[in-house]
Amino acid sequence: MCAQASAKITMYRLFELGDCFLITFTSGAHSSRMLIDCGSFRNGAVSVSRLTTIVGKIQTALGGNALDVVVGTHQHNDHLSGFVHCQNAFNNMNVQQVWLSWLDDPGDPKARQIGDDYNNLRLRLAGARDSLHKALKGRTAARPMAARSLEVLNDMLGFFGAHAVGTPPDLPADAVKFLKTLGAKDPLYLRPGRTLEMPGLPNGSVRIHVLGPPRIENVEKKDDPLFKKDPSAGESYDAALASTTQQAARFLDALKAGTNKPSSEEEQYPFNQEYKRRRTGGGTALATIQRYYNRREDSWRNIDDDWLQQAGALALWIDDFTNNSSLVLAIELVESGKVLLFAADAQTGNWRSWDQVKWQNPAVKTDDLLARTVFYKVGHHASHNATRVQTFEKVNHPNLVAFIPVHKQDPNITKTTNPWKMPATNLFKRLKVKTKFRVLQMDNVNPPECNPNKASVKAAWTSAGLKPKVTEFSIEIDVKG
Amino acid sequence: MISSPFYRYLRGYSLDPGFSTRLDTAAINEVVYRIPFESLQPGPIGEYVEVIDFDPASGCWYDPVDLGDERIASQNGLAPSEGNPQFHQQFVYTVAMKTIRHFERALGRKIVWYPRIGEPKGKSDSVVDVRLSRQYVQRLRIYPHALRDANAYYDPDKKALLFGYFPAAEQSQGANYPGGLVFTCLSPDIVAHEMTHAILDSIHHRYMEDTNPDVAAFHEGFADIVALLQRFTFTDLVEHQLYASGGRLDRFTVLGELATQFGEALEGNRGALRSMIGRWNAEDTWEPLKPSPSDYLNNVEAHDRGAVLVATIFDAFQRIYTYRTRDLLRIATNGTGVLPEGSISRDLVHRLAGEAGEVAEHLLHICIRALDYCPPNDISFGDYLRALITADLDIAPEDETGYRLALIEAFRARGIFPGRVSTLSVESLRWNNPSFTPKENDAINWLADRMKLYIRELVETADRRELYKRSNKAQGWLNKLLMGEEKSFLQDSEWEAFLNKMGLTARPVSQLFGKDSSKVRFLRNGRADGTYTPRIEVHTVRPAFRAGREGRQIEQVLITLTQRISADIGTDGERKQMVFRGGCSLILSLGNLNLVEHVVIKNIKSYSRFCKQAAYLNGADGTAPSQSISTYADDDRDWRLNFNLLHRH
Repeated sequence: MCAQASAKITMYRLFELGDCFLITFTSGAHSSRMLIDCGSFRNGAVSVSRLTTIVGKIQTALGGNALDVVVGTHQHNDHLSGFVHCQNAFNNMNVQQVWLSWLDDPGDPKARQIGDDYNNLRLRLAGARDSLHKALKGRTAARPMAARSLEVLNDMLGFFGAHAVGTPPDLPADAVKFLKTLGAKDPLYLRPGRTLEMPGLPNGSVRIHVLGPPRIENVEKKDDPLFKKDPSAGESYDAALASTTQQAARFLDALKAGTNKPSSEEEQYPFNQEYKRRRTGGGTALATIQRYYNRREDSWRNIDDDWLQQAGALALWIDDFTNNSSLVLAIELVESGKVLLFAADAQTGNWRSWDQVKWQNPAVKTDDLLARTVFYKVGHHASHNATRVQTFEKVNHPNLVAFIPVHKQDPNITKTTNPWKMPATNLFKRLKVKTKFRVLQMDNVNPPECNPNKASVKAAWTSAGLKPKVTEFSIEIDVKG
Repeated sequence: MISSPFYRYLRGYSLDPGFSTRLDTAAINEVVYRIPFESLQPGPIGEYVEVIDFDPASGCWYDPVDLGDERIASQNGLAPSEGNPQFHQQFVYTVAMKTIRHFERALGRKIVWYPRIGEPKGKSDSVVDVRLSRQYVQRLRIYPHALRDANAYYDPDKKALLFGYFPAAEQSQGANYPGGLVFTCLSPDIVAHEMTHAILDSIHHRYMEDTNPDVAAFHEGFADIVALLQRFTFTDLVEHQLYASGGRLDRFTVLGELATQFGEALEGNRGALRSMIGRWNAEDTWEPLKPSPSDYLNNVEAHDRGAVLVATIFDAFQRIYTYRTRDLLRIATNGTGVLPEGSISRDLVHRLAGEAGEVAEHLLHICIRALDYCPPNDISFGDYLRALITADLDIAPEDETGYRLALIEAFRARGIFPGRVSTLSVESLRWNNPSFTPKENDAINWLADRMKLYIRELVETADRRELYKRSNKAQGWLNKLLMGEEKSFLQDSEWEAFLNKMGLTARPVSQLFGKDSSKVRFLRNGRADGTYTPRIEVHTVRPAFRAGREGRQIEQVLITLTQRISADIGTDGERKQMVFRGGCSLILSLGNLNLVEHVVIKNIKSYSRFCKQAAYLNGADGTAPSQSISTYADDDRDWRLNFNLLHRH
């Protein structure tokens, strides 16, 4: 017979895109604490000061107790920036252990190789952004495609803390470096299929099951189903990363060639130098073609900047890749059977792999964990492709609650052109149905129909045995065991 | 005086360039293409296409090839070479013209690119009232080295094909040299595929609108069908592959794969980009694909569903081939019809390849001709099946070789059924013959009389620019007639009933869906308005002269009529504008313009179709979004197809 365990879940309010969750477990006389991510999208003074305040609140909430576990889910600014900006505070928090995904494990050759490629890709894309910015010289109206490509690169690099031209995209990587040194014990690098006891509690009261990021051993690359982006085929894991990195190199070379001396590879790419022609005058056939191309009335057919749209594809790729590298945890309150699902930013590829997880403990079943889920930290700020329909439809608990770490006033969401649609309309609708309107968003404003003070919604919360507590800096519920 | 030759002969690849470095395929990968002769400027720039070899990412140009240069012309063009950009120009031109040639022969008329549509002036969201300027586009533009990306696409705004090049995977896969370059413009499949998008757009411009899950799938699938069947018209190649597979089409051959080199060049992707007959399983054994009645329903993503259409046509191809070669096999096997394992006689292979080539060409032309029997917008696979059957009945009423039955069987095997058809017989699949009242026939006579002169002018025209101009004139005139000038001999209600038979209406939108109209928030120029009557648009007036496999000639006039309304379909207070179209494709007999042979309609008054489209665009019907722009976009749809995104692999 195990002791009843309950969990107090605190979502900190970051006033922009970001994730920061503290879970305080209680089991009899014992208590234990876990922090999952601490970051927000931007790194300016306002963001840093807000994070500092919030980290102070976390310290207060710990009440002098140790922070048993800190989880860093994946290398994006909006999940890890606090571990760079508030290092002193974290150093003083008596952190016992840090949990990271196997992809951060320096002792794992596969992870190291992926890490190298990933690092190169990131640097090349930052280089591409910087070159494109330089080439564009602010003439965005005259070159809309180039301007859009620059915007997409900037959006993506924002997740690596490189919002400004010239900044290296290294902040999340620095955060992981710091996290590796933070705990009193060595960090754990988690692979799917593993089940851990929550430290600081009697064994068997709270268990943590690792669902992602996917990893399959001894399978040919061509058959690795995991990091395939759904629905299009052809994107498998590290091999695709290597290939994308190479394409990014050629893309960056092309951008740089405009201003620098071309690299020796670039000189022979895609054809030998002897075939390449610049402007020609006189009566050559090429001069005729060039005049034809340059006719003003035909300028609508020109393609000078179309190739830059590849930036969008590359940016999307690295973004999907990073999100799919998310550490996904299902936290089980053993006695009551309740499960809290923290999906980080996992996208479809990660979700799909959960069906194929080989559990160390054969008694654990993915579908069973999903069926008992009573709390869902909505994946990737409720973007449309980060909650896989087929999997989420297995989550049917009548008392389900969802927290969405989205602040609707984030400039990425409020911008007039190409705004990010978070939360995604159809997912939001489905969440409202499944939770009977027990959905809370970080800004506590939206949506009005989910206002917990509204009578019908209040009744729904009560029937689930919960009472959400909203303060200036956090939103909290207490899941009883 | 020397007359112009009929044909130009140009060397090129029959498969992707990679096959030239494989011992088993090197001998048949380089073939001589035969395309219609035309005089060319360096580029090549001809009547239909212009190749412009600007490589913006590399910041350079490549000298244009002059196919009229005697040093080149006298040796059937430049020798195939991956390292020579001038060969690339020659090759995209060759495959482009080969594809156009197939379409023109099957359709019995000239291809005229869809005109450039000007930007709307003033209120940019106007979709109901604004008449947009139209500009004739003589040539499709082809950029063989436009992108540094594993991508190639048709850009309908630029009327251009853009081809990319990219480094192949570092690991050795298939015939690729690791890290070597792959040029998409050197794959005959990819070039034919992109050309088909452009040609299909010139015939059915509204198929660019993503109004149901079949539309994007149709664009993709149809483009692959053309690429695939075109492949089978190279008899040397077919002969070689049939020899290797012991005369059977259902065994692994490179014939059933598309864009092999491209597919192999992508990391972690074993084999061709798309394979129609089978695939390599996890044990590295090749297994043929088996059709299942749930194939259609279970595949909703555009490429998956498109692949179902390709597999269906390929299946029909196999059925016809098997049916037509049974006697040959019996003769060759002392009456058993069972071929021994191992090599088979060269003579037999030669005869089999001849049959396969003929079947492929017939089927390709059946597939293309059916386009004229498709509705003007919102196509479904079921519509296409009915179009295939009707078109083929017109041209080959006997069907001695079982083409139609093979098609029906293949569609049925994958669960593709047209709506509102009680049986899958040829008779019920055929588009219904229109039944007009005597008074309506009078109206048709009256319209036909007034159109005769214009049609005659069109028939006499060979020049494409002139065709475009005269067709526009005829369209304008018919538009005036239909918009109610001089129609006094029909009562209003009779006129409305007449238009309804063509999927159109003359009533204001407030009456469009009967009592359901009140549930719809109609818009006009972006503002709420339920009072307007949608204009009737006349999209094509084109004569066609076709010849079929039974030696039958038919002469028809094709007319496309549509109407559009717009409405707000947003939910939860969010506003979202949707354009909804209806209308018909009319097929008239040229000899007797008063005879309407077929009316293929998409009814503008169909409320259920309206609701289905709205649910689809809102992502509320459970289908996966086919082309989400990014992680940060929503799960609803952009109503216009974007081939750049659709073709990313």
